[in-house]
Amino acid sequence: MDVITRHLPEFGAGLLQTVELSLLALAGALVAGVVVAALRAAPVAVLRGAGMAYVEILQNIPLLVWLVLAVFGLPEIGVTAGLFTTAVVVIALYQGAYVAEAVRSGINAVPVGQGEAARALGLTFTQSLRLVILPQALRTVVQPLGNLAIMTIMNTALAAAVGLVELTAAANRVNLAEADPIWIFVTAGLCYMALSALTGLVSGVLERRLVILR
Amino acid sequence: MVRFPAGPRRTAVAAAALLSLTGLAACSDGGGSAAVPGGGAAKGAADELVAAAPVAASLPAGSTMEKIKKRGQLIVGGSLDAPLLSQQNPGTRKVEGLDADFGRLLAKYIIGKPEVKIVNSASETREALLANGTVDVVLQTYSITPERAKKVAFAGPYFSSGLVIATKKDKQGIAKPADLNGKTVIAGANTPAIAAVKKAAPQAKIITFGSDPECTQALKQGRGDAYVQDQAVLLATAKQDPEVRIQGGPFTADPYGIGLKHGDAQMKQFVNDWLKTIQASGLWAKTWKNSIGTVVQGDAPQPPAIGSAPGSE
Repeated sequence: MDVITRHLPEFGAGLLQTVELSLLALAGALVAGVVVAALRAAPVAVLRGAGMAYVEILQNIPLLVWLVLAVFGLPEIGVTAGLFTTAVVVIALYQGAYVAEAVRSGINAVPVGQGEAARALGLTFTQSLRLVILPQALRTVVQPLGNLAIMTIMNTALAAAVGLVELTAAANRVNLAEADPIWIFVTAGLCYMALSALTGLVSGVLERRLVILR
Repeated sequence: MVRFPAGPRRTAVAAAALLSLTGLAACSDGGGSAAVPGGGAAKGAADELVAAAPVAASLPAGSTMEKIKKRGQLIVGGSLDAPLLSQQNPGTRKVEGLDADFGRLLAKYIIGKPEVKIVNSASETREALLANGTVDVVLQTYSITPERAKKVAFAGPYFSSGLVIATKKDKQGIAKPADLNGKTVIAGANTPAIAAVKKAAPQAKIITFGSDPECTQALKQGRGDAYVQDQAVLLATAKQDPEVRIQGGPFTADPYGIGLKHGDAQMKQFVNDWLKTIQASGLWAKTWKNSIGTVVQGDAPQPPAIGSAPGSE
């Protein structure tokens, strides 16, 4: 157990990096997801196709492959960004595909009458989406978005493979010095559990506040 | 160094990433029965080594060695992707390198035949694999440390390596560990290079990647000023890649041990006696010549003294 107390700074720094990575990636994923979901609901076929292509391409290639491609492939064509920036952008875009699907299901859950009423009032597509459909859609999918937030936190562990010292990499480094994998990885696991429990709690509260009773 | 997966090397690491994934799959299905030399094909230098290898006169009754002999196969925790050390040749499916050769020689010493089964292990799993008896020995660039010696028994050291610094070929001003202060240093995840760089150059920023090709690519793409890695690994890298240059000699001593089940003093003594035998007969030097010696000029170095590393007493 003293293995953990002796290495608290390393664990703390790793946890902080994981939290930063998760929050930034999640913010990015929400923006990307809402935009892509809007594309998929658009009345223009090309936009719908683009939205679908985005979701299919991003979801059907593993995140680790995306990360390795971005970190090692992009510099080959002259695009070099920092490791943290690269990881945030890649995770955000990847999770964005999942968020888009969740939001789309929310859009589908909004009764057709709402959209028809918005059009009858003379709202444009963008206006009806922004003022009528999306607010209701997002409030329906708070719980799935909470799950995706947890998924995002877990997926940040893959950033360890491309050089970021987040919680998993930090635990790995401590284990390298101490050779006590059980305690060290159990601790890392407990940290992840705490983060996801917190996320679950927050999304639960949000859900109860925002739910639309139909 | 600890474990170091080195996949296929390609200029486009994009391709390498995908390939290494398929490579992993290939390893796992080949891991079962790959290590035994084939019958008629490719009688190489490794087979000559095995032919010249000694067989133990007798095995103590009830010992681990006797169990291994009864089973007819030595189960080794090792790699299939470490160049010069333990790498599976895709053509012959034979595992080649220093660790692989020592595994075959030890198997012959115990069983009389070089029957080895390599179980692909990793630095995170080696202690557990030994403790629960999945593998008999670990031969995987297993650096002897006092912390690890609390979990496993180490015979040896059987080889002494060390960390060296590599840079891009035109890089100036990095020749010794102290020069790394204030620089960004690339290291392999799960290698002792991380701790060694922290100690030698406390102001260095360390970034880690999972495999040697990734680290090399990161160095060439300028994500770091230097790459610190085990000499044996970097020799192979620098030989293949003219853009990478090794700066100076090793700055650490890194003794590799043969991992055994913790507390099995009888087997540790047995393996140490075997190491002394092959060191005295010159077989050790021939094994070195067969792997590391193919990229390093000159004669084989003096083998490390058995029990000399802290943790191997």
